[in-house]
Amino acid sequence: MKKIIILLLAGIVLLSACSSGSDETSESGDNDEITAWAWDPKFNIAALELGEETYAAEDKEFNLKIIENAQDDIVQKLNTGLSSGTMKGMPNIVLIEDYRAQSFLQAYPDAFYDLSDHFNIDDFSDYKIEPTSFEGKHYGIPFDTGVVGLYLRTDYIEEAGYTMDDFNNITWDQFIEIGKDVKKKIGKPMMTLDPNDLGTIRMMIQTAGSWYLEDDGVTPNLAENEALKEAFRVYKEILDEDLAIITSDWSQMLAGFNDGKVVSVAQGNWITPSIKAEASQSGDWAVAPIPKLDVPKAVNASNLGGSSLYVLDVPGKEKAAEFLESTFGSDEDFYQDLVTDVGAIGTYTPATDGEAYKKEDEYFNDQAIVSDFSTWVDDIIGVNYGMHTYAIEDILIAEMQQYLDGQDIDDVMNDAQQQADAQLK
Amino acid sequence: MSNRMKINATGWFFIAIATVVITLFYFYPMAQALILSFQSGLGANLSFVGFDNYIRLFHDPTFITAITNTFIYLLVQVPVMIVLGLFLSVLLNDKKLKFKGLFRTAIFLPVITSLVAYSVIFKYLFATDGVLNQFLVKFSIIPEAIEWLTDPFWAKVTIIIAITWRWTGYNMIFYLSALQNVDQSIYEAARIDGASAFKVFTRITIPMLKPIILFTSITSTIGTLQIFDEIMNITGGGPGNATTSISQYIYNLSFKYTPDFGYATAVSFVIVILIILFTALQFRVAGDKND
Repeated sequence: MKKIIILLLAGIVLLSACSSGSDETSESGDNDEITAWAWDPKFNIAALELGEETYAAEDKEFNLKIIENAQDDIVQKLNTGLSSGTMKGMPNIVLIEDYRAQSFLQAYPDAFYDLSDHFNIDDFSDYKIEPTSFEGKHYGIPFDTGVVGLYLRTDYIEEAGYTMDDFNNITWDQFIEIGKDVKKKIGKPMMTLDPNDLGTIRMMIQTAGSWYLEDDGVTPNLAENEALKEAFRVYKEILDEDLAIITSDWSQMLAGFNDGKVVSVAQGNWITPSIKAEASQSGDWAVAPIPKLDVPKAVNASNLGGSSLYVLDVPGKEKAAEFLESTFGSDEDFYQDLVTDVGAIGTYTPATDGEAYKKEDEYFNDQAIVSDFSTWVDDIIGVNYGMHTYAIEDILIAEMQQYLDGQDIDDVMNDAQQQADAQLK
Repeated sequence: MSNRMKINATGWFFIAIATVVITLFYFYPMAQALILSFQSGLGANLSFVGFDNYIRLFHDPTFITAITNTFIYLLVQVPVMIVLGLFLSVLLNDKKLKFKGLFRTAIFLPVITSLVAYSVIFKYLFATDGVLNQFLVKFSIIPEAIEWLTDPFWAKVTIIIAITWRWTGYNMIFYLSALQNVDQSIYEAARIDGASAFKVFTRITIPMLKPIILFTSITSTIGTLQIFDEIMNITGGGPGNATTSISQYIYNLSFKYTPDFGYATAVSFVIVILIILFTALQFRVAGDKND
C-alpha cells in the first residue's frame, strides 16, 4: 500500500511539473501594459515605437510592449487564437495587411473593437476605409499606404537615350515598347517577376479600379474581368519579350536591383529603404508614376500592400484605442516624424502639407518623392479587397502557368472562375 | 491472491497514466477533428454541413493537384531512396572497406540537419543563378541554366533530389544494422556454391532484409505523404501549384486563406485514410511471408 502512495505522490509531482510552465506564458492584458503585434522592425515596429514616444508626453504611465513576429506568424496566431474562442494571450493592438483585413473582420466578427468614435474617416485616404470597415463600423486606423511607383535607373535609361519624361503617365504597352529598345541598346532587362507572387498583377488591375472580386467582396470576378485579362496579357508579353528576370523569392528580387541587373522596379513605396540600401547607386534613381493598363478609366496610380492597426476586444482596449487615436489617428506632427525617421508614408491627409512631405531626397536626385507619392495616393481608385485575396491568387498563379504555356486567355479565366466559385462558397 | 491483486493494481496504475494522457492528447483531439471535418465556414462561423466537405474534395482542382504531386513524389522518390539506401548499405558493409566510419557519417549527416535549414540552403543552391547552375554551365554539362525552382517539371525534380539527399542516410542505417544480424555463414556457403555478387545480393541480402525493407518503405511512405517543410521552404508550392503537397494545402486552407478549418480537417483525414491504405497494401505485398 505504501508503494502505491509513493507512486501517487510521484505522479502528482510529475503532473504538476508539467503544468508549472504554463503560468508564465499566459499574457495578462488586464494591467497597465498594452501589447502590440507587428512585423518588420525597420518599418511597422519603428512606427509603433515612435508612436509610443510621442504618446509618452501625454501619458507618462503608458507602457507599450511591442512583440515582433513575421506577418505569416501573426496571421497564424490570430487565426488559431481567435477560432479557439478564447482571447487569452491575444494582444491589444495588431497590425493586419489590408488584403487580409476583411477575412479577419468577417470571420471573427466579435473579436475586434469598434474604433468609429476614435478617428475621423474623412481625414484618411478613401481607398483605405473600405478594407478596414465592416458593416458600417470602422475597426482599423489606416496606417501606411502601399502607393506604387515606377523606380527607374536614370543612368541606364539615359544610356539608352531616354529621359524621365518618356516614362511620365505611360501605359504598360508603352513601357514594353521602351523596354524592348532599352534591352536592345544596353542589354539590361526592365524588371524582375516572381511567378509565385502576382503582386504585379494586383497592382496592374487596381490602376483600372478592378479587383479579383466584385464590389461585394465575396463574388469572384475573373471570367468577365477585362482588366485582369489585360494584365495577364501584359505580364506574358513582358516575359515573352525577355524583359524580366524570373525570381523565386524576395531576396532575389532585392538582389535584382541592388546588383544593378534591372532598369526599373515597379513596387510599393515601402521598397524605398531597400533601394537606398545600396549606397553606391545614390543619385542614379528616380520615381515615375506607375504605368496604367490600356483600359477605360485606368489611372496612373495604384496600391500594393499596406496595412492598418486594429484593436482587439480584450481588457485594455479603451487605453489602446486612445493611444492610437492621439497618435496615428490625429497627430499631424507625428506623421512628419514618421516620414523623416521611419520613411513610412501614412494615409492621414492633413499631414501631407507638412514640411517633411515636401523634402527632397538626395538619393533620388533631389526629387521630392514623398510629396510625389502622396499626390498619387489621391488618385488611387478604391476597391473592396474582400476576404479571399490569397485564395484566388493561388488559383490565378496556377492558371497563369497555363496561360504562359499558350492556352487561350478566356479558357484560362473561365477555368479560374469555376475553381473560385467552387472553392469560395 | 491479495498479492496478485496488488501486482495487478500497480500494473493498471502504470498503464492508467499513459492511457489517460494518450486519450486526452491523442484520441480526444482526433474525435474532435472528425467532428470538425463535418463542419464548414470561415473562421469562427462554423456550421454542420454533413459530408459536404468530403464531396467538395472530389471537385477541388487544387486538392487533386496536391494529391497528384504527392503521389509523384511517393512513386518516384520512395523506390529511388530505398534502392539507393540498400546499395549504399551493402557497399559500406564491406569488410575490406577503409574509412568505413567516415563514409557512414558522411551519408548519415544530412539526417541530423534541420529540415528548414537544409531546405533554405537547397533553395539557394538550386536558384537560377545559384551554385549548381553555375557549375553545370561552366563545365558545359548543360548548355544553359536550368530553372530548377521556377519550371514546373524541374521544381519537382529539385524537391525529389532534396528529400532523397535528406532521407537516404536515415534508411541506410536501418539496412546497415540489419546486415549485421545476417549470419555470415550464409554468405560463405553462397560463395562456395559459386554465386556471383549480384546473385548474392538479390537472393540472400534482399530476402534477409525483407522485414526492414517493409518497415522503411512504410515509414518513408508515411513521411512522403506528410511532406511539408521542404516544399514550403524550397518552392513554396510553386510555380503555380506544380509542387504543392497535401500538407501544404492544409496549411494554406487554415492559415494563408480565410481559414476554413472544417474543410482543412477533411483534407487531413484524406492523408490518414491514404496512410492506412498504403500500409495495408505494403503488408499484403511484402509482409505476410515473414510472420
